[in-house]
Amino acid sequence: MADETSDGVELVGVQVNEDTCIGAGQCEMLEEDTFYVDDDTVIAGVIGTGMLPRDRAQKVVDTCPSRAITIVEPAAEEEQ
Amino acid sequence: MSAPPLSPNVTDDSLYANGIPHERFAEIRDADGLLWHDYHDGGFWVVGRHADVKTVSKDGKVFSSAVGHTNLWDLEADALEARRSLIDTDAPDHTRLRRLVARAFTPKNIRRWEDTVRDITVNLLEAYVEQGEGDFVEAVAAPLPIQVILTMLGVPVEDSGYLVELSNFLVEGTSETQSIPADAFGNTTELRLLPFNSPASHALFEYGERIGELRRKDPQDDLVTSLVQAEAEGGDRLSGSEYRNLFHLLVFAGNETTRTSLSHGAMALADNPDQWQRVLDDPSMIDSATEEVLRWSTPVLHMRRTTTEPVEVGGTHLEAGQKVVMWYASANRDETVFDDPFRFDVGREDNPHFSFGGGGPHLCLGAYLARLEIQVLLEEMAKRNLQLTRLGEPVRAPSNFVHGVLSVDMAVEAKP
Repeated sequence: MADETSDGVELVGVQVNEDTCIGAGQCEMLEEDTFYVDDDTVIAGVIGTGMLPRDRAQKVVDTCPSRAITIVEPAAEEEQ
Repeated sequence: MSAPPLSPNVTDDSLYANGIPHERFAEIRDADGLLWHDYHDGGFWVVGRHADVKTVSKDGKVFSSAVGHTNLWDLEADALEARRSLIDTDAPDHTRLRRLVARAFTPKNIRRWEDTVRDITVNLLEAYVEQGEGDFVEAVAAPLPIQVILTMLGVPVEDSGYLVELSNFLVEGTSETQSIPADAFGNTTELRLLPFNSPASHALFEYGERIGELRRKDPQDDLVTSLVQAEAEGGDRLSGSEYRNLFHLLVFAGNETTRTSLSHGAMALADNPDQWQRVLDDPSMIDSATEEVLRWSTPVLHMRRTTTEPVEVGGTHLEAGQKVVMWYASANRDETVFDDPFRFDVGREDNPHFSFGGGGPHLCLGAYLARLEIQVLLEEMAKRNLQLTRLGEPVRAPSNFVHGVLSVDMAVEAKP
């Protein structure tokens, strides 16, 4: 998986904890190409590449009221 | 351990007769660590600094909403159960209840209501301008949010007057005295089992039951229908008591709090004509003006949590099972976060106010609806070049819990 854009911005993956998401929709408002709140379950999911520049990913993490979003560290992926 | 330093009194309702006792909160923010507040039902830690409110608000595990009560006084177990709404729950109950209503209130879905909000706002505003002067609360601030939330719920808008009346009685229930007898509205339930200890809650429950019954028989594309359908899909999704309390919460919170913001906002614009002129000169300031109206108004003055384990806040050690009260009224004037916090500044760039709470899972469900209502009102006022002038002091709800304005006389005219 690409961890950088062509201009060298570090990209990280994001994931949503489905058990703790309360469907407030803040992530969808901030990053509509990456998050989508499902109309039936009212749980946010990751769409598209699921990758964001680190600063934007961190903003979504910090904004989520139920702390349901985490950054998937590229290093952690390699260890799997 | 030595006794903690005592807080100045901030709970007597009479302290709020002329507004928030800001000098007392300044003292609280200035103290080392947290101060302890004596209270007839058991004391509590006073959290007044912005950073400390955020710490408490964000952690729903250590700072529980389901234990004791989210108001200052504890409720007996049966009363807490009978009155429990979204506000008084922790995950996973909170997560389940919140999702049942969250969809309608996401920022994206709230945008769909913009035309409805605008139609309602324009009607009320034009009637008020026609009138020339009068109580801004009665003419605009009270009817606007209640008509919007009733439209979303799918409740006849003709009933908005009745529901505003109930709402006024509920506000009274947050102070020590009530003007209606315990058996008002045919109530036979013990008051301690009703939200705000008010017989008006019985009336609102009954009203919700009636509308719910209608929608069970004849489903519509509205919020009441989606709630009763969730109820029907299985007992573990939404119980009868949960439905009643959710309906009550949506009507009260979707109404009282925004009305408070609009009223304080209108007063601030009348009192600071230079700030309103900035908005008129540059309508792109409406977004930041909306946030400043929110910060300025602090519709809910505090919320309480209860610690589930020992924890440190602001340098003070808290034991498990202690009450912790977050004073948004104080955090919204924290001089370490807001430059010149007592200045109403429509251009304030960084405005992390806590008028929707301090973050965390209990973030105000209606935050984006409230924003939309304030924003549309400012837009429509700006479009008409309206100027508000104060004709007197507001009549305030003497309450340590809501920053309510019962009435405020103003004159309104379109500037040439």
